[in-house]
Amino acid sequence: MPNRRTLFLLAVLCFGHVLLISARVQSKSGMPVIEEVAFGAFAKAQGGSAAVSDGIRGIWTHYLALRGAATENEALRRQVLELQGQLQQEQAVANSSKALEEALKLQRSVAAPTLAARVIAGSPAPGSLTVTIDRGSDDGVQTDMAVIAGQGVVGRVINQPAPHAAQVQLLVGRNAAAAVTLERTGAGGLVVGGASDLLLTVDYVSNQADVQVGERVLTSGQDGIFPGGFLVGYVERSEKGTNYRLVKVRPSVDFTHIELVLVVLAKPGTDASHKEQP
Amino acid sequence: MRIAWVLVTVIVAVVLQVTLARFTVGGRWVFDLVLVGVVYAALLWGPVAGMLAGTIGGLLQDWLATTLGGGLAKTLVGFAAGVVGTQFVLVRPRARMIVVAGATVVHRLLIVGLLAIIDSSQQPTWHWSGVPWAAILAETVINSVAGLIAFQASEALPGAVARGRMSRRSSLSRRNW
Repeated sequence: MPNRRTLFLLAVLCFGHVLLISARVQSKSGMPVIEEVAFGAFAKAQGGSAAVSDGIRGIWTHYLALRGAATENEALRRQVLELQGQLQQEQAVANSSKALEEALKLQRSVAAPTLAARVIAGSPAPGSLTVTIDRGSDDGVQTDMAVIAGQGVVGRVINQPAPHAAQVQLLVGRNAAAAVTLERTGAGGLVVGGASDLLLTVDYVSNQADVQVGERVLTSGQDGIFPGGFLVGYVERSEKGTNYRLVKVRPSVDFTHIELVLVVLAKPGTDASHKEQP
Repeated sequence: MRIAWVLVTVIVAVVLQVTLARFTVGGRWVFDLVLVGVVYAALLWGPVAGMLAGTIGGLLQDWLATTLGGGLAKTLVGFAAGVVGTQFVLVRPRARMIVVAGATVVHRLLIVGLLAIIDSSQQPTWHWSGVPWAAILAETVINSVAGLIAFQASEALPGAVARGRMSRRSSLSRRNW
């Protein structure tokens, strides 16, 4: 059996942990200074480990796993061509709507500036759905900024970013949420994460709303974090509930393979960053 | 010297955890290599080392991931694993793997219980059915395999280094002759 000194040390450590837990629970915002220092110090190690793992993966993907690269290249060329065509169509539509906005003297929509970032680390604690990106406060990243990917919304920046790293809470995480609107019906709601199957739940959708499976779910911009119009996912299930409709959404982003993301550099909570007066 | 090794073990475990977790974000492969590191330190260097590793590793995880209770749970598990290591003869990697498996289950249940106490204002009744057993089982399997690899490697590495030295020496002596 352990001696008295060991047991005394265990009691002291446990008491210290209980004090730390109660301090964090009572302060609500946690212990920003300690967390900031720990995150800042560890961000460099995370960057280094990401570089090593990327190097190893690079050797594999660039040299050893080149089977079928020519076929894939051909398919990608075709896809680029199709996308270029689509882009031209979209530009034509955008130009006509811009002309209409000017003619009608409406508010002119401008795209918020974005910053590309690389995911350098996952969450240190299992079950906590966060990732670390290689852009931080020195690059203009701030707390609560929205993070998106090519397929849709990824999450938001949480905690104080380090100079060259920031922590992103994924939309499928336990305490994550975003204000959304259903594209076809126009019904609004609040999408929340936390489900073990990685599906999102839309709360506060009226039972009267005619929500259909496969319908696109977009950000509404009403939460002051996510700009409006970004794709969140597609309705997978829709049933009538007691007070509100039970709507489950399959996220458009594949959260198991996130490598590159875009940080929306609009200051959170300012709608003016997305709209500009004529 | 032992504290330095404990620190190195924990930091290596945390770096490995964040590096590998990057490729399994949101997936079903849940693992806690920091816990494996804590049990490794506890079985190799005793309960005090286990406690220290648990405190450092758990607090680092809590601060980096903004979670709660990891430090306390890992300290208790590190201590318990250290006591088990001193009470029983656990030399073979497979026996140590069983300790890692047990530690994973106890650690996860401690976290679930602790969070239930902290969130008791929101969830007044806690029930065994609320425990994510499937996730615990998956984590136990992966942690046990990681522990087995770590213990096998730590057992095989000194022998491999010594054999390498011996072969270098013998080839040199042949050349001299």
